[in-house]
Amino acid sequence: MNATSLLVPESEEELGRRLMAYERRERILSEARVGFVAVALVVLILVVLFQLHFSLTKISNNFSFVLEGVGTTIYVSLVSIFFASILALIGALSRLAHNPIANGVAGLYVSIVRGTPLLVQLFLVYNGLPRLREPLTEIGVPASIAQLLVLDAIPAGILALSLNYGAYMTEIFRAGIQSIGIGQREAAQAIGLTPWQTMRRIILPQAIRVILPDIGNQFIAMQKDSSLVYVFGVWEITYRANKIARTDGSYIEMFLLAALLYWILTIISSWFQRQLERRMAHAYER
Amino acid sequence: MLMNAEPIISVEKLHKWFGLLHVLQGVSLAVLPREVVVIIGRSGSGKSTLLRCMNFLEQPSSGTITIDGLTVNVTLHAQPNRQQIFALRLRTGMVFQEFNLFPHMTVIQNVIEGLVTVKKMSSEQAIPIGEKYLAKVGLSDKRDVHPIRLSGGQKQRVAIARALAMEPKVMLFDEPTSALDPELIGEVLDVMKALAHEGTTMVVVTHEMGFASEVSDRVIFMDGGQFVEVGPPQKIFSDPSDPRTRQFLERVL
Repeated sequence: MNATSLLVPESEEELGRRLMAYERRERILSEARVGFVAVALVVLILVVLFQLHFSLTKISNNFSFVLEGVGTTIYVSLVSIFFASILALIGALSRLAHNPIANGVAGLYVSIVRGTPLLVQLFLVYNGLPRLREPLTEIGVPASIAQLLVLDAIPAGILALSLNYGAYMTEIFRAGIQSIGIGQREAAQAIGLTPWQTMRRIILPQAIRVILPDIGNQFIAMQKDSSLVYVFGVWEITYRANKIARTDGSYIEMFLLAALLYWILTIISSWFQRQLERRMAHAYER
Repeated sequence: MLMNAEPIISVEKLHKWFGLLHVLQGVSLAVLPREVVVIIGRSGSGKSTLLRCMNFLEQPSSGTITIDGLTVNVTLHAQPNRQQIFALRLRTGMVFQEFNLFPHMTVIQNVIEGLVTVKKMSSEQAIPIGEKYLAKVGLSDKRDVHPIRLSGGQKQRVAIARALAMEPKVMLFDEPTSALDPELIGEVLDVMKALAHEGTTMVVVTHEMGFASEVSDRVIFMDGGQFVEVGPPQKIFSDPSDPRTRQFLERVL
């Protein structure tokens, strides 16, 4: 295409098409520039690492061992985000309820969880709860029930992560529910729906579309926070990397590998989350 | 109009405070079956609040509301129970300024929501009823689209069908055309006129003076939470007796 062809288009449509192509080229170019900077930085970091006797063979030798932890990381994160969402829904409905008991319990739950470190919560669940078993049986609680407090590493991790994220997500759910206009509630009430029917049939189905992308964000954060369960000896990414590193001191190699795996997980999850966001933005278009 | 009929709506000494604002100052109103009553007045005069108190979207501070034989009494010490409020809402259909259609449901789902969820009908029972009222507002062809695909006028007509589908005793319209582009107002007013001619009992808060004078049996001019003037539209519009009514009409006509 020569310069004059852009100035003298054959038709309006042709001009529009050329402008679109031009804008698209510009967009791709600017993305390419950003991508180039990122790649250059990674290459630079690798060059420096190799200068400092970074051992690629240590990574390749243990790659599959650490990679096997990805499944555990995803499993723990998925199950935890599921239970956290249920807790958050209950928490949000309680916070919005006029019932003082529900509201008070949920408010205290959110306040305590947000006011304490996740690691402390993990220790309380995994190491603290089992300590209650004997005192409980002494005061007459059946042993089979007291035994429930003694959790394996993975269930304990899931419980603590669910409780923690459930509290933060309570606020997300609450905001999502409150984002649905008062007019929706009034219209539902005017045709005779009860408050609970209004919530279930009218408010929640709309709120969930607002909330879903945020749940995606929380899941992405959860994948990284789930690394804390390594302290219970759950064989996820971080635990496996640490296990190797401690035997031969390859901390840089092993934790860079762990970091890389988390990073890739995040990139993949972010892609899914963007698709979800896009679908939510185009909801109801029929 | 049958002057000797029993009123179907009876509002007595209705008061409403918003904090320290006394927005309804003991208004009383009786509406006969098949009557069309239009309430006009400046914004803040209490006309929408009066309408919203009739189905308890706004809880009155005190007063008595009777609709089709069901009396709900509110005093500072006696609150109505939920069952009474729900029963009252089943007797009233309401149309809002902002339509308030449910965006996650198709048009037909919007219209039958009350039938299915409140009246516990099966979809098979509810859909023919919904279709009947959709046809009535002239939107049968929009049955399966979502509200986002509709124009403002179409949305409001669906909202009217949604209210009618519950087969209420009276219809309440809260500024049904105020959010519409001027060219879309006509189609909504046409539906409302047709309802009026069929004998639907209607209480309409509106700024459409043409509709008021053409369709209504009675016009109420409200100001400061009180009825300033009540009368047939010919009288109100051509020969208002109160200076406040005159002043208001001069500004809007």
